[in-house]
Amino acid sequence: MIEAAKTIPVVRGAFREYYFKQARAVEEPGKIEQREFGYAQFGQAGMTRHLSFNSIKELHAMLVKEVPSDVYCSNAYYKFPTQPMQEKQWLGADLIFDIDGKDLDLPCVPSHTYPVCTNCGHALPPSDEKKEYSCPSCNGKKAERVSIPCSKCIEGSKKEVRRLIEFLTTDLGMQRDNIYVYFSGNNGFHIHIGDSEYVPLDPQARSDIVGYLSGTGLLAESVGVRKGREGNMSFIKFPRGGIAYGWRGRIADKLKIDGSSIIKLKHIVDQKGGYAGFKSELDKMTREMGVRIDPQVTTDVHRIFRMPGTLNSKSGLAKTRCADLESFNPFNDACLLGGNKVNVRVKTHVKLKLKGEAFNISKESAELPAFAAVYLICKGLAEAM
Amino acid sequence: MPVQLMTSNLSSIRMGTGDLAKYPFLNEAGEYLRESGFGWEELDRPDMKDIIDRAAERIEVGVGGNIYDKLEKYEIEILTFIVSLIMVKSIGMEPVLKKYALSEARRAEEFLTQDLKQQSEMQKHSLFAKIFEDLFKLKIEVAEDGRLFKVRVADYLARSSHFHEQEWKLINRLVQGGHVYLDADETVRLVRNELSVLIYEKVKAMTLPTLPQAIKVKAEELRAKLAPRYEYRTSAVTEYPPCVKHAIEVMSKGENLPHSARVMLATYMLAVGKPVDEIVMMFQNAPDFNEKITRYQVEHLAGMKGSRTKYSVPSCEKLRNENLCFATEECNGIINPVQFGRKRK
Ligand code: SF4
Ligand SMILES: [Zn+2]
Ligand SMILES: [Zn+2]
Repeated sequence: MIEAAKTIPVVRGAFREYYFKQARAVEEPGKIEQREFGYAQFGQAGMTRHLSFNSIKELHAMLVKEVPSDVYCSNAYYKFPTQPMQEKQWLGADLIFDIDGKDLDLPCVPSHTYPVCTNCGHALPPSDEKKEYSCPSCNGKKAERVSIPCSKCIEGSKKEVRRLIEFLTTDLGMQRDNIYVYFSGNNGFHIHIGDSEYVPLDPQARSDIVGYLSGTGLLAESVGVRKGREGNMSFIKFPRGGIAYGWRGRIADKLKIDGSSIIKLKHIVDQKGGYAGFKSELDKMTREMGVRIDPQVTTDVHRIFRMPGTLNSKSGLAKTRCADLESFNPFNDACLLGGNKVNVRVKTHVKLKLKGEAFNISKESAELPAFAAVYLICKGLAEAM
Repeated sequence: MPVQLMTSNLSSIRMGTGDLAKYPFLNEAGEYLRESGFGWEELDRPDMKDIIDRAAERIEVGVGGNIYDKLEKYEIEILTFIVSLIMVKSIGMEPVLKKYALSEARRAEEFLTQDLKQQSEMQKHSLFAKIFEDLFKLKIEVAEDGRLFKVRVADYLARSSHFHEQEWKLINRLVQGGHVYLDADETVRLVRNELSVLIYEKVKAMTLPTLPQAIKVKAEELRAKLAPRYEYRTSAVTEYPPCVKHAIEVMSKGENLPHSARVMLATYMLAVGKPVDEIVMMFQNAPDFNEKITRYQVEHLAGMKGSRTKYSVPSCEKLRNENLCFATEECNGIINPVQFGRKRK
């Protein structure tokens, strides 16, 4: 959360200007009157939830008036969106996926991750050292790991998005133009599905979809490897539907087998050390081939979700629709704040690139355009002076 | 007129009368009766006695957990089915209705599976279009190879995600282009629960006119016979805790219940003083039900067999860890399911 008395007005001012000038960038959700909204405010813990708006105009008015730090909208549809959860009467929810760069374990991450003391806000430069954190200023033992994603991080997330889209359009047969990809506003992507077929599904059914996409729970039997009568024995019997499609097909391709390769598959299984060995190899393969999505986001049908077109207070960037994923550059396309000059105290040496402008700041105080100043402040790496 | 109970969307596909005999819950069956000008009063005719006896037998067999497997001419089957529904309704006992509905579903399931394996593609198609679309709003297509069937992924998930077996997980299915490919057995398995719910609801929604004497007498007879098994449900506990309710629900659908859930159910029932006989019967819908084994196990838990220790009901915490807890607000402040409903302020 953003500290300091001087800092909040700066960020809030930039957010206000954005909502004032670019309210139209805030996307109207379908069936707006059936959605639950919520928002958080600068300098305040917690969230105001169970709100409802009858039109996007009403919502715009709220944005300009309250200037929230974060704005959320349910993916669920309710009969009574403003009632407490038990009385809302759930009508369905859009299917959503979340891909977060921080879940991808990319090797570049330590080189742009800054420990920021949760007690006093002191920031240290990135380091590879694994030693326990101790704040040089207040001796605090807890730090938040703040990351300034690099282009490799974004490319890593994009790769997952592409993989997800591949699964959705081939196996699940979705139309590409029913799949909406958004930059989350910080370090990942949200994928909203416009297909109404999935709206009625309950959390259990959604969790089954997550299992499918992330490659968890594939039985060896599904690709034709069955347990023999004794311990680690195995025999091959392909399932009735064959192994041409879906996960079966993916594994078959990987193992370079088809529905007639009984001997070859048996050989592979024996090489892996029998049924158990093959099974653990299979688990590894599916995990690698699956998409790294956050399971909780997809299965939670009562969540409120960052709204497209609104600003993310962890970065000051906007949650932005990616019309073309390949060319999308969040540091240009989602950086939508103004360029008024702001004086900041930068806590540690930082490097970043926003709106095509490279910043390499090693001095304590600097005059930065608002979009860059706000970005660093939101990250906890700078304070307004 | 009982035939008016059989309404749902009419479809243009005509069924053969042989199909109607096997699937008397289809609209066509009702239509057939209507067209033949059949009337209520006729059930009092002496030659209808056979139908009424058959209906009673059908109910008894079904409620006993078995499948009534006689298959007669369609006129007889349709009438028998409708008279069965009327009798079950007038018997008015919830467990009887539930078991009866389940057994009708199982009966239809068997016929369906056979038919889907044997019939030609054209026949398959019309049978499916009829039963799955009209009854379950489930679109099914015959796959390109003429052997497998295709359902939409979302339709599949809406049903399969409540099955417990790993092979029903989507990842273990043949999935392509938004469809899940299933064989005949699997396709039918997918809707079995719905069929029993459908029959259950059909009976629930019926309003009975004055019954012909012949049916009344037979229904009373049957009721007297079944009542001792089901009527004394009044123990001190007015409502079961959610975890127990859930287990009973899973059980009544004929689905597999994990061992730990069975132990919970049995120990709970013992704790609230349900007789062993009745507890054993609670498990009779389990796919692997064997009365002798179940009885032994329940008696063991009751401390009547083996180690002679009486097992207590697992704590809420233990159940929570085993994903068997389905706590509601009413569970607040209790640590063991037996306390449920007893600690009211
Ligand atoms: S809290 Fe206890 S009684 Fe309530 S559902 Fe969970 S296990 Fe059962
Ligand atoms: Zn500190
Ligand atoms: Zn990186």
